[in-house]
Amino acid sequence: MAGESVVQPPVAVPRREKKARLVYPGFTVPFILLICCFAAWGSAANLTDVLVGVFRHIFTMSNFQSALVQFAYYGAYFSLAIPAAIINRRFGYKTGVLTGLGLATVGGVLFFPASRLLSFAPFLVALFVLAAGLSILETSANPFAIAMGPEESATQRLNLAQAFNPVGANIGVLLGAVLILPNLTPEPAKLIMTHQQLQDSHRQDLNLVLGPYLGIAAVLALIWALIALRGMATPAEQSQETDEVRGGVMGRLWRNRHYRYGVAAQFFNVGAQVCTWSFTIQYAQDVVGVPTKHAGFYLQASLLLFLAARFLMTYLLGIFRPTLLLFLLGLLGVGLALTAVFAQSIVGLIAVVGISLSLSLMFPTIYGVALQGLGEDTKFGAAGLVMAILGGALLPPIQGRIMDAASTSAAFIVPAVCLALVTCYALFDLRTKRDGGPLVAEGAH
Amino acid sequence: MPPPAEHDRSRSLRRRALVAMAVAAVLSLAVGACGQEKKPVTLGLIVKRNTNPFWVTMKDTAQDRAGDDNVKLLTAAGRSDIDNRSQVAALARMTAEGAKGIMITPANSSAIVPAIERARRAGVTVIALDTPTQPAAAVNALYATNNFQAGQLIGRYAKAKVVQRGIKPKIAMLDLSPGITSGQLRHNGFLNGFGIRNGDPRIVGSVNTLGEPGRAQDGLRALLKLHPDINVVYTVNEPAASGAAEALKSAGRSQDDVILVSVDGGCDAVKNGVRPGVIDATVQQYPENMARLGVDSLAAAARGGPKPSGYKNTGIALITGDPAKGVPSKNVAWGVRNCWG
Repeated sequence: MAGESVVQPPVAVPRREKKARLVYPGFTVPFILLICCFAAWGSAANLTDVLVGVFRHIFTMSNFQSALVQFAYYGAYFSLAIPAAIINRRFGYKTGVLTGLGLATVGGVLFFPASRLLSFAPFLVALFVLAAGLSILETSANPFAIAMGPEESATQRLNLAQAFNPVGANIGVLLGAVLILPNLTPEPAKLIMTHQQLQDSHRQDLNLVLGPYLGIAAVLALIWALIALRGMATPAEQSQETDEVRGGVMGRLWRNRHYRYGVAAQFFNVGAQVCTWSFTIQYAQDVVGVPTKHAGFYLQASLLLFLAARFLMTYLLGIFRPTLLLFLLGLLGVGLALTAVFAQSIVGLIAVVGISLSLSLMFPTIYGVALQGLGEDTKFGAAGLVMAILGGALLPPIQGRIMDAASTSAAFIVPAVCLALVTCYALFDLRTKRDGGPLVAEGAH
Repeated sequence: MPPPAEHDRSRSLRRRALVAMAVAAVLSLAVGACGQEKKPVTLGLIVKRNTNPFWVTMKDTAQDRAGDDNVKLLTAAGRSDIDNRSQVAALARMTAEGAKGIMITPANSSAIVPAIERARRAGVTVIALDTPTQPAAAVNALYATNNFQAGQLIGRYAKAKVVQRGIKPKIAMLDLSPGITSGQLRHNGFLNGFGIRNGDPRIVGSVNTLGEPGRAQDGLRALLKLHPDINVVYTVNEPAASGAAEALKSAGRSQDDVILVSVDGGCDAVKNGVRPGVIDATVQQYPENMARLGVDSLAAAARGGPKPSGYKNTGIALITGDPAKGVPSKNVAWGVRNCWG
């Protein structure tokens, strides 16, 4: 998912070196550029979380309508997962990276005509194109990073690159919190505007959205140019799943309850995450009355908590059984989401921020548990887990609908239910015996 | 992995040109984002008190706006809602300190006029916020809530709810005090919106509450003893509404039996009154609009633009969790995020 690293097929390592260095000679700059890509898609993904509230404000639309931002974004991620794999297989990872960067740049630039048309639909198209590009980029960048150096340092290289994803995510929210939210035309000011003044304020507010996306597009274009002109050779690739995937894979995976339920758990986990982050700003504004210019900082706090908690969870995973931690943090998440539902105050807002603590563990843990012991079916199974990103597209509009029908606080029942289902998955794993085998790490195969 | 292939000179130049173009594009975006700073001006804002959330919101908004617009904002407040002397002193001080425009919320609409005239003779543009002066022409302009419209809107809502529920209205009016214009305008607006006049038999009683919860509670309690079937309660502001809610509760009346409406839109009332349904609806006013418009127009005038003049309506919105058909309203979430205080 956006903001997470996605599993990739294996990559052949061209040659072994006596001493495992981080990257092959001459690949330092390309690797740095690739790191920039990881940060760039993190920025774009989490700036989109801010956009849900921003578009509701600018277009005076319902929460359901504004949640279509996430439908477009994660829908594109879902739709492009398979085409991205095909591009990588047929043309190599560098082509995949360049295609992704190019398409994402086009998506960013499309914000320009969208802002001139003063309507919502063109922004959805621009977001879809941007996310489609980032989906291809994300699918290509992980194996590309692996292929940039010796096999011995592949995990180190991948972890280093992935570490910049949350950095980018925080930059994305900061862009929204600093450049967009404080400068939006206040809603009461619109009440007394003439039609012409409203049009002007509309244009001005959409220009605020345009700025960060044009900035992201400019950075992506720069990275595209530098990678394209580096003249790097595409890493050699192994024969891929098409040869390996035999007809019985689907059946085997379906019969594996840990995998089947794992895909469902990942669907609800991604849904809970996108729902929570998409509507944190709205909770701060609608329930607590936090001014628009300060509301973005609560989303920022969520992401910082998520980032810090990931390091803590990495440590704790070395001590406790992963699904035990998943179970406990799932329960915590349900409790926090229910607090958000019932405590319509700053306590509820703190609970909303706190949900990120429980989310921090979930994606990699579900990923590893669901794929555990799958053997040769792992790569194909991983694709199914990545497709579970669909939860990020489908669940926010449901939460938006409940916000419109009931209230912003009541709608946090959606992440509460999602996290409860993830908790059930953890409980299922804890109570069932299964064949051992190491947990599978993201991007490690 | 093989190292990068060797490149010829022209290819290298082409690359550099492309990179330079990309860098130039990024730089031009960054430069374009920087705006030009406006000429600095000094303005003043005098509110009634620094403790009332309504005035605090007004002051905070004015300071924010001033900060964004290269305006030095001098501020002052009285010690009470009727402290005219402090406002007179503040006008003189701000004029001496070079304020080109002053916004004032008069604590005494007529007693402040000579001080305003002195400031205007010294070349200062003066705008009254929220409360008009007497005479109104003593200031260049008035930016305030249209209290008649506010009362009218809440009256329309109450009427629509009466029709929707199919009840015979028995109305209690919890007013401000005789002689205070804003309270009279809200009262008259409510009657107009409801489609009745003073003396209509559907009005079973009126109480002057001074906008205080205790007086409102005592007043409504007394009315309920005489008319236990009261089912519509108009309150001039939200403190009065909270007092009314207490009286209804102690009389054993369910909040579903009585239509309780008010005017103001403070955060406390919206969150704890309208959201749980204790107050059925309130009309929200916007001190932030008064401050924003005031700073904008005075800064523009100080920079050579036209001087503000006349009356400017600073807007209202009906906030309710239970909308009435045909009456435009905003939901509670909207009310919470735009409330004052």
